Amino acid sequence: MAIDRRRPKPSRRSHFVIRETLLLLFLLLICAPSPSSSSSSSSSSMHNNNWAVLVCTSRFWFNYRHMANTLSLYRTVKRLGIPDERIILMLADDMACNARNTYPAQVFNNENHQLNLYGDNVEVDYRGYEVTVENFLRVLTGRHDSAVPRSKRLLSDEGSHILLYMTGHGGDEFLKFQDSEELQSHDLADVVKQMKEKNRFKELLIMVDTCQAATLFSQLNSPGVLAIGSSMKGENSYSHHLDSDIGVSVVDRFTFYTLTFFEKLNMYSNASLNSLFASYNPTLLMSTAYYRTDLYERPLNEDRSCSSYEWLKVLQDRLADEKSDTIVMYGLGTMILLLTVSTWLST
Amino acid sequence: MAGERGEEGGEEGDPNLKKRAHAARSRLIVRLGAFLVSHSALVSVVCCVAGFITLFLLPVLAKHTYISENALMPGSANPLFSSQDVNEANRFIKGIIHKRIEKEEAGIELQKFIGQSIADVGAEVHYHKFSPHTNHFNPLHFFSSTSNTARIDTNNSCASFGVNTVGIIRAPRGDGKEAIVLVSPYNSQNMEYNEALSLGLAFSVFSLLSKVTWLAKDIVWLAADSRFGEYNSVSSWLNDYHNPIFSRDSGNLDSISNDCHHWNEIRIQGANSNFFKRAGTMAAALVFKVMEKKEKGDRDCLTMYAEASNGQMPNLDLLNIVHYLAVHRQGLRVKIETMGSLLNSAWVKFTGEILEGVSRLSKSLNPQWKFDVTTADYVEGAATLASSMYYQALGVPTGSHGAFRDYQIDAVTLEFLPRFYLRNENAQSTFLLRSGRLIEGVVRSVNNLLEKFHQSFFLYFLTAPNKFVSVGVYMIAFALLVAPLPIVAAALFARAKANEITTDDCAEKCTPIDTKESEIATGSWKWLQAAKVLLMIHSWAVIVSLLPYYISHMINLNSTMSMLTWVSLSISTLPFLYALFGSPFSLNVEWELLKAVMVATISIGLGLMSIINFSTAQIGAMLLVPMSLLVHPLKAKMNVNALLRAALLTCNIAFAFLGFPPVALLVAKGLSEGFGKLSIGDFWEWMEFLWEWNSATYLYLLWVQLPCWLLCIHILLHPCSRGDSRHKQ
Repeated sequence: MAIDRRRPKPSRRSHFVIRETLLLLFLLLICAPSPSSSSSSSSSSMHNNNWAVLVCTSRFWFNYRHMANTLSLYRTVKRLGIPDERIILMLADDMACNARNTYPAQVFNNENHQLNLYGDNVEVDYRGYEVTVENFLRVLTGRHDSAVPRSKRLLSDEGSHILLYMTGHGGDEFLKFQDSEELQSHDLADVVKQMKEKNRFKELLIMVDTCQAATLFSQLNSPGVLAIGSSMKGENSYSHHLDSDIGVSVVDRFTFYTLTFFEKLNMYSNASLNSLFASYNPTLLMSTAYYRTDLYERPLNEDRSCSSYEWLKVLQDRLADEKSDTIVMYGLGTMILLLTVSTWLST
Repeated sequence: MAGERGEEGGEEGDPNLKKRAHAARSRLIVRLGAFLVSHSALVSVVCCVAGFITLFLLPVLAKHTYISENALMPGSANPLFSSQDVNEANRFIKGIIHKRIEKEEAGIELQKFIGQSIADVGAEVHYHKFSPHTNHFNPLHFFSSTSNTARIDTNNSCASFGVNTVGIIRAPRGDGKEAIVLVSPYNSQNMEYNEALSLGLAFSVFSLLSKVTWLAKDIVWLAADSRFGEYNSVSSWLNDYHNPIFSRDSGNLDSISNDCHHWNEIRIQGANSNFFKRAGTMAAALVFKVMEKKEKGDRDCLTMYAEASNGQMPNLDLLNIVHYLAVHRQGLRVKIETMGSLLNSAWVKFTGEILEGVSRLSKSLNPQWKFDVTTADYVEGAATLASSMYYQALGVPTGSHGAFRDYQIDAVTLEFLPRFYLRNENAQSTFLLRSGRLIEGVVRSVNNLLEKFHQSFFLYFLTAPNKFVSVGVYMIAFALLVAPLPIVAAALFARAKANEITTDDCAEKCTPIDTKESEIATGSWKWLQAAKVLLMIHSWAVIVSLLPYYISHMINLNSTMSMLTWVSLSISTLPFLYALFGSPFSLNVEWELLKAVMVATISIGLGLMSIINFSTAQIGAMLLVPMSLLVHPLKAKMNVNALLRAALLTCNIAFAFLGFPPVALLVAKGLSEGFGKLSIGDFWEWMEFLWEWNSATYLYLLWVQLPCWLLCIHILLHPCSRGDSRHKQ
């Protein structure tokens, strides 16, 4: 393994290539003990599960699009392989049953009405007035009342990749919850720090679609966090288009283009974070998407054999890295070499 | 003031006064006050001029309207109102015209037809019966427009009832707590074609709304029988809507009219259609009428009327969505009332040209300054602003939407003026399509509302259908006009005090004062005499304001006779009061003190009125403030040159003439509606008009303007004998 560790890795940050096959996963699982045993640092454990926390923070009919955003992402992460029991869905309002909805019990994110986001199998964990800053913080930190059922808890561990998606109305360093509360950037940073200390995640991807989303990340300082915001400080995030049947905007631009990107993916596709970043076009977004990657680079990068920037793993359960792929190849080669050497020696 | 006194009356050797003066010096606010008071003449001139300039600048300072409430989202949905609904409307119009022709003495046929149509659509229907309630002069009902519930007189035959038809669509998935009201007035006795058209429009929108799936609020359609006036029918329906009658009368509403067989017909027709049905709290109301076209225009027109009683306005957002949808979606031309006489006024044009010159100058100095004024814009803005102010100041609603405002419901009247003659079928169809879509759009937008209208302004003037002056801006002019009043009052008081001290010095040397009476007359309590005069004149004004109550109870008096009785009674009361309390001349009140007290009361009166009806206070201040500040006894000596003195005297007389309430009313009325033939009786009718509508302007005219004018006349005619003798001493 020493050879592997010393292998030079140029342009590592820019090269987040993912390939995932069931076979590789299998191989990965087989050889998983070898790198973890070899790596001295205990903090970096294997990536073994994926979670998603999807939050829509705004009420009221005219915020239809926020619920549609969240439900679209819910559908996408489910499609890409995260099961319902590992998704915490928080919706502040029920647009489907709003009296103003022209399509009762349905929610659409496109005016072509091809895809009903509120069909069967939508498990909303926190709804209506349950979506509060307090509950949000409790979900993330895991400090629940003992009566709270398992389905409402984020039961992640140090091997978890978590996607945290939030949408609503925000401003400079805050995100509004339900017109009555605010989540501040300090709160978010604090809760992420607590999660890190409690070993509740290995990697955390925060995706925020609000006005001035980038400001929400300004206080973050825990390692392993990757943050994407829809707009910079002083910028607004805009809705994508208006559904003139329903009479409201149905999706936000940032979410729309993120979804467009994901729609091209399937469970087995090759995609990198860079290609997602590249897909954001400021003229289409009418705002500048923001990525905060500085926390993601860990000092003990080289120690890790199978970890790299495959943040999309968060979305895909059975996922492996091209790096780990090659590492595994090298590992196998070394083993075979050692085996032959040992057999040769023993003979 | 203390500083002032210390300064002026500061005797050399009085350590007490010196100390006080010193204490006053140490406080900035007192020094500032003293400074303002000592320069009161300059301050009042500057403030008044600035106030008038700000007032004339208001059309320039107007901002464009914008939709403030996020929830409204006007025009975000495609209108569903289609040509099919137009056909529906046409069918309805034909039906109703047929009914009218069929039955000459239209009893209750029209109501029945409307009710049947509502029932066919699948909505709830009921008939609301009301009797005309004549407006009486109610001295104590000025601010509560919830008039006494109209008791139905059992002896009335059915001919003296009006019958409103009310249809209610329950929102299929709504909570039933809120409702949107559509009102279409028509005269059931003598229906014109345009009224049939507006009924048809209302019906087609109503039938469309009964089919849509997006309703969150109930829809109420009130086909208001306006045989006793539009306002009357709407207000009596609203009254019954908000004040449920729990006595046995309510159930017996039909038993009362057993003799009226029309009523029985209705009763047979629909079960429960006689019970008063209610929906939830009203979120907004739209009153719409189609008018007969008078002149040819290139587009269909829409006129908005918004003023309710005592200058109350609906929330600006309601007007905004109507304007937005009408202009940007349906391509209608939106108008509001303008003061026609100002449009052609040379003065306004001149002011506009000056402002245009200034804007050009400022642009040449710095092109980045955004101060763009054109004469035409200014003239139009000024004329619209003046009419907006006038109708608010009058305190009388400009249409039946005013009845809603009394229940804090935002309402607006939309008057459609088609481009073509109404009988033209094609034009009628396109017109119906447009106006139907507009109404549907407004209803859908209001339907999106989650709370009462509250985001936008309630206190504003309009200078164009899409431009407004908010309260924060128009307050400035009023504040500048009223600001000098307390300062001048203080200055006059201080001057009188100063004079007094010097005269008292003499008096002590010359004649010893022994009686207490004379001490009050001359001592430091002398202002009480002035206050007494003021109180007397104000109580006279109160009596004058109450006299019409008794005069209106006298029968067989035409308006001219009533007016003459009123005037003669008022004038004869005055000497009586003089005899009782002593006339201002016999009381030997100094005119300065009298003026000080008068100015103080004017500032209080205007301040109070500005809370009740700002526009009245604003217009009143334009008259009262210069009048009261300039007033000076004709006989008093002045140390100024002859030209200034002559100018002052002319101004005094001119303002004393203009300030007389009937003259002021006449000028205001003449400017807005044009001077026509005039008789003494007209004044009586105007007054009747004001009190019938419970307008606070009536109170203002008689309780503030009239006594102040009388005091000014007193001051003008003041003999000044005392002052002269004092000067000789």
